[in-house]
Amino acid sequence: MFLFTKSYFYDFLSRPGGLTDYLSTFLMQFYFISWAGAMIIALLLILLQYQVFAISFTINNYHKTDYFLISFIPSFLIWGLLCNENISLNILITSIIILFFVQLYLILKKRTIRCIFFLFVSPFLFWIAGGEFWIFNLICIAIELFYYKHLKKTDYFVIAILMVITTSSPIIFSWFAKLQYPLNRLWWGPWYSRYPIISPTVFLLSWLCLPFSIFITILLPEISKRRNSIILKSLLFVIIFSAGIFLVIFSSDWKKEKIMAYDYYARNEKWDKIIELANKKDPDDPLSVTCLNLALAKTGVMGDAMFRYFQNGVEGLLPTFQRDFITPFVAGEVYYHLGFLNTSLRYNFEAMEAIPDHKKSVRAMKRMAEVNLLNEEYNVSEKYLKLLSKTLFYREWAKHTLSIINNPKAISENTEWEKLKKYQFTEDFLFSEQEKDQMLGLSLLHCPTNKMVYEYLMAYMLLSRDLKHFYEYYPLGKEIHYKKIPSHYQEALILYWSIQPQGLDSIPKMIDAPIKQKFIQFVNDYSSEEYKTKKKLFQKKYSQTYWNYYYFIK
Amino acid sequence: MKIQNIISWLVFLIFFAIFSGCREKIDKRNSVNLLPPIYPDYIEVTIPSSIAPLNFSIRNENFELIDVLVQGKEHKSLHVQGKSNIQFPIKKWKKLLSENKDSSLQFIVSIKQNGNWKTFKPFNIYINSDSIDYGLVYRLIAPGYEVYSKMGIYERNLSNFDQRPIVENTLITGSCLNCHAFNQNNPSFMSLHVRGNNGATMLKINNNMQMFITKTDSTISSCVYPYWHPSGNYIAYSVNITNQAFHVVKDERVEVVDKASDIVVYDVKSNKLISTELLKTDDLETFPAFSPDGRTLYFCIAKKMDLQNDYKKVKYSLCKISFDPSIGKFGNQIDTLVSANNTGKSVSFPRPSFDGKFLMFTLSDYGNFSIWHKEADLYLFNLSNGTFRAIDLVNSENTESYHDWSSNSRWFVFSSRRDDGLYTRLYISHIDQNGNVAKPFMLPQKKADFYDNFLFSYNVPEFTKKSIKLNLMEFKNKIMSDEKKQMQFEK
Repeated sequence: MFLFTKSYFYDFLSRPGGLTDYLSTFLMQFYFISWAGAMIIALLLILLQYQVFAISFTINNYHKTDYFLISFIPSFLIWGLLCNENISLNILITSIIILFFVQLYLILKKRTIRCIFFLFVSPFLFWIAGGEFWIFNLICIAIELFYYKHLKKTDYFVIAILMVITTSSPIIFSWFAKLQYPLNRLWWGPWYSRYPIISPTVFLLSWLCLPFSIFITILLPEISKRRNSIILKSLLFVIIFSAGIFLVIFSSDWKKEKIMAYDYYARNEKWDKIIELANKKDPDDPLSVTCLNLALAKTGVMGDAMFRYFQNGVEGLLPTFQRDFITPFVAGEVYYHLGFLNTSLRYNFEAMEAIPDHKKSVRAMKRMAEVNLLNEEYNVSEKYLKLLSKTLFYREWAKHTLSIINNPKAISENTEWEKLKKYQFTEDFLFSEQEKDQMLGLSLLHCPTNKMVYEYLMAYMLLSRDLKHFYEYYPLGKEIHYKKIPSHYQEALILYWSIQPQGLDSIPKMIDAPIKQKFIQFVNDYSSEEYKTKKKLFQKKYSQTYWNYYYFIK
Repeated sequence: MKIQNIISWLVFLIFFAIFSGCREKIDKRNSVNLLPPIYPDYIEVTIPSSIAPLNFSIRNENFELIDVLVQGKEHKSLHVQGKSNIQFPIKKWKKLLSENKDSSLQFIVSIKQNGNWKTFKPFNIYINSDSIDYGLVYRLIAPGYEVYSKMGIYERNLSNFDQRPIVENTLITGSCLNCHAFNQNNPSFMSLHVRGNNGATMLKINNNMQMFITKTDSTISSCVYPYWHPSGNYIAYSVNITNQAFHVVKDERVEVVDKASDIVVYDVKSNKLISTELLKTDDLETFPAFSPDGRTLYFCIAKKMDLQNDYKKVKYSLCKISFDPSIGKFGNQIDTLVSANNTGKSVSFPRPSFDGKFLMFTLSDYGNFSIWHKEADLYLFNLSNGTFRAIDLVNSENTESYHDWSSNSRWFVFSSRRDDGLYTRLYISHIDQNGNVAKPFMLPQKKADFYDNFLFSYNVPEFTKKSIKLNLMEFKNKIMSDEKKQMQFEK
């Protein structure tokens, strides 16, 4: 959450690395629009590359453009780091700001002025940019050694003193500002990553890459005047770019990207997009499957289609609560649409509290504002809405909702809210994580026309392979008034009847003839010798049915 | 020419500074017979003379300017204007309050709307000469369920707006801090729990800090709710096995229940936990509190029930047992002061005043975690005649829960969710020696809209006589160290 308020800004300024964290939080809110986020990162990486090249070019006395490609190395490294969604854009912005001050340092020709500049800027950089500040110290020392040269003995002494003074900045600031963080967290900058940095090796590499890329060019010979300069430059291009691209691809966790895509669509209620994604490739992790099942339920095809996709049990339907900031967000969506408003509220609140860097989530806050509104807790809802009205992307929605907060008629005009209010429990009980089927059953008893709850209850039984209870609860759907019994229910019913003493002879007429025939074929194939040798083919033949899940999916 | 330009700009800036600090004069006012809708509600409250300014704003009205004239005795006054809220200058505020002890200040509030001034009906604020403690110590934590984010124990100076962290859980990653307690508001005796991987209980007596493992083989859990003996030689704790459950209906959220609980007393000198069979039964004993003379231990007790189905039947009575501090022994009889069978309700947080006259407690429909009960209210028990009553003037339609007495027993602070039903805020009220209570006032903040954006609840407010001195480095090193003292249970 990024707020356009003074107090929000001052809060960032009150801690080291706060300003760059503020800037990165500001820019990261644009990730909401995927192309905008990509463009921001791309532009900043290009800016970093330009800065590295500009400094290197100056240090080499405006020669050695041969090594222009080396200036891409830090950008590739940071790009790779940013493929981890827990690494903040902060790390890139900090590098840019540090190099900006290095560029200023290079402009100062008088040594005394550079000393004073260094003395003030280094601790200042710690305050605005955090733990990476010592890279500025390192680069400036290297500039003195390799660019200005002609250092006297006293100059080394002065450099040493300045180094000691400025690198003790975290300790001094920590003491003055009474910062309550372990000292090592202040060194590695508390806000470069969502998680406290235990092993800073990766960050260290990306930071050291900056002075490396700048100063290595001093040591390398000029190649433009050589006969084979084109070959050498081409080789450099191939090495750097292929290594860089490989690093980015290797750093990307495509599985996580998929989960994030499913979650993004679920959060924005783009059910068709979810199904489209699943049709390209079955999701196989619980969170993606959860989103898919939600989409199938919302588009009214759950009973006919859920087992056409990979299912991994009830965790892919209603994930168990985890004390993290990922699972509760996804599960919270499901509970919201089911009408378990308090549970959705709890999951969103908990997910927000679980964010490791203690930042707040607009997504959670929006849902909390909505649920509190539906729960008639108007004061709490108003509190969240007022905060959201100070954000960029939720401002209009928040302002509109604030305008109708005390207007039940206007609230009921929102069809989704109106439906959810109808589903609200009137008789209290305590939610049981271990008895989700009971929870669904109680919800259905309260509101027998809640189609989604009914389908989730049926799905729960089917995923648990509990045909007995499936058969027992199946009649609860009479208020749903299906035009046709969903095909998976028919498959489950026929399977249930087949294992009763009466066998297949007692199958009622409500089962469609094609399903009946397919089941008979299934039974024959299952007991044939061919099954034992061509199991995969057999599974593929029946992969679109519940029977495949029942018998073959572990 | 250049110098002239500079001077011109300087003069312009000076005039700008002067006139921008000037108040707008109110020539004509339209008086209305309505009290101003100020927030926080400070109308007719009683405050100590040392309290920070009661800055406020106006709600539910559009306005361009607020004007407040505060009038005291002998025509002394304070006149302030503000665009969105009122901020009284601290020095002038304090001077006015000190000149009007045991008297009242009249507030005349006007707002400018569409160029016209509307003046509301004046109201009073009463200044009581009874002093109040230096400050408050409380935990700030989000009003969540099981997961916690950033939290900390903070100290607030009541005479200004300064709040500083005593310890935050960012110091020890992943830790939970809770149950800070002092001996009759004296922070020289401090107890604090740290939960998590390096969990322990910190006891700090004067400058001596030690970490303790409080879970023993003979107790069901680590020590939980603390209460110091006035001598500083004992600390009463409850030991609790607690579960949380979550309601599905809209008016409820969380239910916190004890599956089991007992009471123990820690003998500081011998490092022993002592108890009696009367406090370690199958029933649920909790919330111990020593009397100011240290010879009585008050506590709550309830019959154990099936938590899934009968949690609404768990109702705590208020009881007491005698205690001999010279030998560290309990009496052999429990007396009931407030019976759950008679009231049909449940008592929590019994806390006697330090002058020995009263005992305040929270009463709710059932259970003991009253912060999640909207019906929870504060009650006052008269220790001299055994009667008790609801403190109607401080109770609201929403939760009133944890409370603490000031050192002179003339003020008390309590937690309330009256603002929005979820985020706990602190209120302070005056009580005289006869038990007459004044309208409470909300803990003042520099900006009146501070609470609008504040996403933390104030938890376990405790008065403190002086500023807390806690060496963070020592605290951290000792918590992270394996050298923690194991409390022993005396069988």
